[in-house]
Amino acid sequence: MKRPTATAFFAGLVAAALAALALGVALGAAPIAPREVLLGLLRRGDPTATAIVWSLRLPRVALGFIVGGVLAVSGAALQALVRNPLADPYLLGLSGGAGLGAVLALAAGVVSAWALPAAAFLGALAAMLVVYRLAVVAGGALDSRILLLAGVVVGAFAGALLSGVLAVSEASQVKTATLWLMGGLGGVGWPGVVALAVYSAPAIAVLVAEARALNLLALGEEPAQHLGADVARTKRRVYVAASLLAAASVAAAGMIGFVGLVVPHAVRLLRGHDHRFLLPAAFVLGGTFLVLADTLARTVFAPLELPVGVVTAVVGVPIFAVLRRRWTSR
Amino acid sequence: MARFLALLLAFVAACSPRPSARTLSITDDWGRTVALAAPARRIVSLSPSSTEILFALGLGPRVVGRTAFCDFPPAVRSVPDVGNGIEPNVEAVAARHPDLVVLYASAANRAADRGLAALHIPVAVLKLDDAADVVRAARRLAALAGVAGAADSLVVAFDASLRTVEAEAAARRVRQPRIYVDVWANPPMTVGQGSYLSEVLRAAGAVNSFGDLSASSAPVSLEAIAARDPDAVLVLAPDTASAPDLASRPGWDAVRAVREGRVLVVDASLYGRPGPRMPLAAADLARRIGNLRLGHGP
Repeated sequence: MKRPTATAFFAGLVAAALAALALGVALGAAPIAPREVLLGLLRRGDPTATAIVWSLRLPRVALGFIVGGVLAVSGAALQALVRNPLADPYLLGLSGGAGLGAVLALAAGVVSAWALPAAAFLGALAAMLVVYRLAVVAGGALDSRILLLAGVVVGAFAGALLSGVLAVSEASQVKTATLWLMGGLGGVGWPGVVALAVYSAPAIAVLVAEARALNLLALGEEPAQHLGADVARTKRRVYVAASLLAAASVAAAGMIGFVGLVVPHAVRLLRGHDHRFLLPAAFVLGGTFLVLADTLARTVFAPLELPVGVVTAVVGVPIFAVLRRRWTSR
Repeated sequence: MARFLALLLAFVAACSPRPSARTLSITDDWGRTVALAAPARRIVSLSPSSTEILFALGLGPRVVGRTAFCDFPPAVRSVPDVGNGIEPNVEAVAARHPDLVVLYASAANRAADRGLAALHIPVAVLKLDDAADVVRAARRLAALAGVAGAADSLVVAFDASLRTVEAEAAARRVRQPRIYVDVWANPPMTVGQGSYLSEVLRAAGAVNSFGDLSASSAPVSLEAIAARDPDAVLVLAPDTASAPDLASRPGWDAVRAVREGRVLVVDASLYGRPGPRMPLAAADLARRIGNLRLGHGP
């Protein structure tokens, strides 16, 4: 079996994405017949069905697609940056920072719907700046190993503070914080979806613009430098753009694991390492994967809802194992 | 002669009337016998529910320690705060020199229970999750304090006022309104069957729209809330003055009761914990539901 051509592969991905989006809108905890869903989309149906389709399913599916895509692109870029297959959007201290920000806001008694994501975003941003600063101070030109180490250290530090705050705060706040951090695509409406889309576009564009440099970086920093890449500038840009993407996705949907780790590997296994192709393909596959996972999370135990991160891990690991086996056994 | 007198004194002491050991002994909710040599005079109460019950029994002056979350009746504010009720600080509790510690029946409290036992401080572990628990806890706390009679009058008043509220609500209602209980917004969490709040709803003549959930509380999908189309949404707020605005929560406009403004914001301290004020909560809810004028409806 030959690997499909890039065009055919990408066309297949887009078709899968469209099918996933349609499925996500058609299925949910409320049993609504496909005809009713269509009428709801045209705003001609029963008001409750229309409200469910427009206020709940569509923004949720859109958010899922963007968050999944953003996480996958961010993961792909960070894996290339630190040249470590274990890198994911949360590894570099961002999850710790975001969690700490959110919990501090809760402990301070903030209740507004926008405050929690904003605080998580600020926390992630603070973590990113500290990691960046540590890496620059130590290595000058963002040494990959120092960057990883600084990320893990800052993450552990934020995690310790987070545990400390949780230990001395009220029980219900602890529960809230834990539930929120587990991640979910429910609590965001159209304004949140639009904000994330507008915000992510430039960061993704920066990463795509650096795709050729990332390809060279895969050969090693010195060869990349000789082949004409401005390694220091590429690393700076990729680190900041990928971190900003991850921070925004945490703010929008909490910490959804696994998408940023596994989707880039899946694309590499299927289509190779060219980042000019890898980054867009990872976006579409990540979005598709998260929309499907969230559809499962919403429907399997309806009316109860699973945290979507549980589904991404439970479904993602076997798929990854099968892919790995298939492509390496040949 | 002196020896004879001493023997005589010892004999008299042995025969003199003492509080009967039986009335100062109960079985707690971990199935253990709690026996006190004398009525409890220095009680540390480690759950807001048990604190309310002790004060309702007239035992407020004997409460020498409470949790940071005990806020009713207002007199509790003058009782020293020993911090958390779940995984309490054993040293802070012991520093109050209690002769009885009332611990909430949570698995997380096993370590504290062992710690207090090691210090030879008597501990009564009480489950306080529903109305029946309130009655049983009141009887046992009164027994340990040597005021069993106080529990009798509390329980009679509790049962009678609850029945009055139920009867009035049943007479007034046209149909049973279905109510969604908002415990937490994102992810949406509600209460299921067997929960205390389901009991409050039932007493007020309403029914929990997620009464079929087997868990006492669980995250549910917002879509399922919209599809079940409750008559009203009940929001428990720690501070009713800064009440949450449900219509501003993303997606909640899919719920008809929210679109049409049938949202009841109530005091979490009155509604959220099983205690002697349950009839008050039920009466308050019945009145609020009446004010919604749901009419005959679907």
